[in-house]
Amino acid sequence: MNCQRVIRSLSACQDGELDPALSRQVEGHLENCRACRAEWDGMQELVGRLRLSPPPALDPFFSARVMDGLRPGTVKPFRLLSAAAYALIFVAVFLAGFLLQTSAGGPTPSASPAAATYSAVLLEPQELGLLAVHEDTLKLFSGRDHGQK
Amino acid sequence: MDEQKLTDDEVVAAVLGGRSRDFEILVRRYSSRIVHFIARMTADGDEAQSIAQDVFLKIFQNLAYYRAQNNFSAFIFKIARNMTLNWLQRQKRTVFFSRLLGRELDKAPFRQETPRFSPQDRREREDAVTRHLMLLSEEQRLALILKVYLEFSYKQIREVTGWSVPKIETLISRAKSRMKKNILLQESGGESVNHARKQ
Repeated sequence: MNCQRVIRSLSACQDGELDPALSRQVEGHLENCRACRAEWDGMQELVGRLRLSPPPALDPFFSARVMDGLRPGTVKPFRLLSAAAYALIFVAVFLAGFLLQTSAGGPTPSASPAAATYSAVLLEPQELGLLAVHEDTLKLFSGRDHGQK
Repeated sequence: MDEQKLTDDEVVAAVLGGRSRDFEILVRRYSSRIVHFIARMTADGDEAQSIAQDVFLKIFQNLAYYRAQNNFSAFIFKIARNMTLNWLQRQKRTVFFSRLLGRELDKAPFRQETPRFSPQDRREREDAVTRHLMLLSEEQRLALILKVYLEFSYKQIREVTGWSVPKIETLISRAKSRMKKNILLQESGGESVNHARKQ
């Protein structure tokens, strides 16, 4: 077995993933080759160093917190925040629509309450948020009427 | 019955049969390994607990999709891996937009600084190893962490990641070589190789 092949096999040999026959060949080579032996020692030292750093301490209430989260009706804070964010977007878009419409001199919102349309917008890959868009807002952006009688 | 003697599949069957509280057995059985895995991947011990909590919620919600083959470990590590990678992607986006707006975030593992789970008084060498771990590509880091810290076999890593065994072998071998090179460079006063090549 030449040095190149031994170097390629060192990691798998260290991980105990090499075929036993190949592993014996690598070990035999390491006994006689100082360069490959140095590579092996370096790799052993690296894994030793990696294992030196202890795992993070687990929160003693971790399982209790997980089990609390499974209870029906438990809403996680980040979900409440998402809901608040969606509500904020909803209100902001409506306000923007009314403001733009007022500045363009169009009819007041109360004059055409049925004019509001809704379109679905994909906010997250797995979450569908509903965003309301006033029809007059669409008109202002597109510059033409949408389904106007 | 002694919960230690129950296999994962038996516990899953009990949970699916209506005994939801038995899910805690699985949480206790796997929580430290899941948190350990996520903490190594993110270099953020506190965030790891929070992500791990979401991982267990997701596992609970998807328990019906688990096919009993005495391979629950692969099932949950697959979910943990996906959620951790999603979190890392979100962090990258946050860092990107924050830089775009001219602000630097206080907390971002991509700054390549000392991770929070290593207190400052810990040995410098130990911190350096964790820092160098974060310099690896996500694939190399994932494979190395599963092998070195979780002591998974290549076959088990294949079940979690879906990669072929030769790919796993290459990823781990390159990760070790890169880390070794970077540590040597740093100790001799040079700069680390910051951009890990793909695979």
